[in-house]
Amino acid sequence: MSAGSANAAASSVNVSSSTKSLRVFGDEIWKNKTAKINAELFTLTYGSIVSQLSTDFQRNFTKVNEKLFAMGYNIGTRLIEDFLARTALPRCENMVKTSEVISKCAFKIFLNITPQVTNWANNKEAFSLLLDENPLSDFVELPMDAVKELWYSNILCGVLKGALEMVQLDCDVFFVNDVLRGDQSTEIRIKLNRVLKDEIPAGED
Amino acid sequence: MAIYSFWIFDRHCNCIFDREWTLKAKQSSGVVNSKQNEDTAKLLFGMIFSLKSICRKLGNEDVSNEIRTIATGKYRVHVLTTASGLWLVLLTDVQQKNVSEVLHHLYGEIYVPSVAENWLSPIDFAEKEEEKMGQGFRKIQNRYFLRAVEQYLSPMVSR
Amino acid sequence: MATTETKDLSEHQRLQLQFQLFQESLPKVNDVVYRMLLKEMLPLAIAVDKSLSDDEKEDENDKTEQEHRAAEEKLANLSIGYKGTPSHVLIKEYADSDEERRLRIRTKMMKMGYQIGNQVSELLIFSNNPNLNFRDMDLLSVMKFICRDVWKQLFGKQIDNLKTNHRGTFYLFDYDLKLLEGMALNEDALEKELSVLEPYLDIPCGILQGVLASLGYENNVSCQATFVDVPESKAGGFRSFPKGVSFNVLVNVNPTAGGEKTVDAGAKGAGAQSFPV
Repeated sequence: MSAGSANAAASSVNVSSSTKSLRVFGDEIWKNKTAKINAELFTLTYGSIVSQLSTDFQRNFTKVNEKLFAMGYNIGTRLIEDFLARTALPRCENMVKTSEVISKCAFKIFLNITPQVTNWANNKEAFSLLLDENPLSDFVELPMDAVKELWYSNILCGVLKGALEMVQLDCDVFFVNDVLRGDQSTEIRIKLNRVLKDEIPAGED
Repeated sequence: MAIYSFWIFDRHCNCIFDREWTLKAKQSSGVVNSKQNEDTAKLLFGMIFSLKSICRKLGNEDVSNEIRTIATGKYRVHVLTTASGLWLVLLTDVQQKNVSEVLHHLYGEIYVPSVAENWLSPIDFAEKEEEKMGQGFRKIQNRYFLRAVEQYLSPMVSR
Repeated sequence: MATTETKDLSEHQRLQLQFQLFQESLPKVNDVVYRMLLKEMLPLAIAVDKSLSDDEKEDENDKTEQEHRAAEEKLANLSIGYKGTPSHVLIKEYADSDEERRLRIRTKMMKMGYQIGNQVSELLIFSNNPNLNFRDMDLLSVMKFICRDVWKQLFGKQIDNLKTNHRGTFYLFDYDLKLLEGMALNEDALEKELSVLEPYLDIPCGILQGVLASLGYENNVSCQATFVDVPESKAGGFRSFPKGVSFNVLVNVNPTAGGEKTVDAGAKGAGAQSFPV
């Protein structure tokens, strides 16, 4: 399945800082340039993975969280290339722009949802994503023993961590709340640690 | 159009793929991932790298002010820079003003499916610290990538 | 007679169209995230096996309370300074594993596949597909259902060829298994590739068994996959894997009479696609 499009370059030029056009841009790619599959198939595939992990680690959910994160990280470092080929977006100048691109483009293009960006830190370097819908956990109910320990959708944090690192943003990404655990909302926190420096060839200054 | 060569540089300033065509009349001519191109790769990288830094300074550190083409009297260098730090570089005859579609195809339709989505292939070709900062030597070798590049670019070599 | 047939057909077509519209109206996600999720299942299974064997070793050494706390804190701050093992490196570890470890990894893959299969048939049963009638399905119809509907749903294409001896032995041939698409080592080594890709075949094997189990064939079912050559007429695009896969399914049922017979599962026009209702 092909990711890129020759038109991507042309259309991205119009994506200035305007957030409205980012939304239109993301919608357009989702509608016209994306091969899609049944979301329920995706949900049940992920469910099978989490369930096998829970069995393997004898319901030590801390370890399950860790492995889901690792799984996501590996996917994120590769998925970012698909994303960049589809969108031809350049690096973002700040975290506000990054948050918009994650919500209106990345989540839209890959999972067809647009999480709310909220809870900004004063320095504008940390924010939260509120997921009103989550195709990973549709119809999922956690068993009693998992409710307190398991971050069911932790793979998302890994994906974000891996993808952001590839565009030189070293971030902490973690779940704060999840409706599966009885919380009011599903909230992922993204906190910028530092912008990584591009490597330069040995001997240059 | 005449294409002279195609290069990919990664986030570690390493050349992870090179293909040079030597005879216009023979599409299969030239070399792939060649040791003898090492110096040329370094020079090419250095030139783009320097111009990039200058551009950035002139553009008030605007990250989106990227180099796209560089022309000399004889040839033109076309560069696609991705946010993930890859550079795809195509050398063509000087008449070719814009090959951005070709570069986007090489990235989106060839690199992404055969390297990024190929779970047996690395996406970071530097295996050790010593192989970073332009000191690396490993190349993209997988058959899907090699074949797709050949199929796509060969017909353009001497069109 | 002829008019009734046309009427039936249009009624059937109407249901078909309705079904198609219904399918299209269902929530969707991007195909690429699903494919990547499946691909990352192998590195995951390898990593899990690794940490389970590490745990065993640690248990022997009796960790102190302090070490325990440190380990837990490390997990809590998972994302800080995270350094993972890349997918392709984990997959290479499979190649260097002994038989015992390989088997453990493959069993994990199979189990995950089994659960997917178990649930995917539910998904399809409740999908109102006018072509499906699960009440009077015999084993052959079930296999055809797998070849067409299950495979289509999971891999975007049907099984290319289904063979059976009508005594519970089935061969399902997929000459372009989507899971293997674009998979190649960064060196020219097809033999090695085949051996590291083997565990990926356990996902569909598990799926097959899971679907069969959900439809009442729970016991005495086995499935084995092997790489086979691709017939020239079936050669695919540039990312198609150079080898096809044959899934050999054995269902231990009461033997019935009947010789070796080939059933073409591939769609040849609209007629071949529909099941006898």
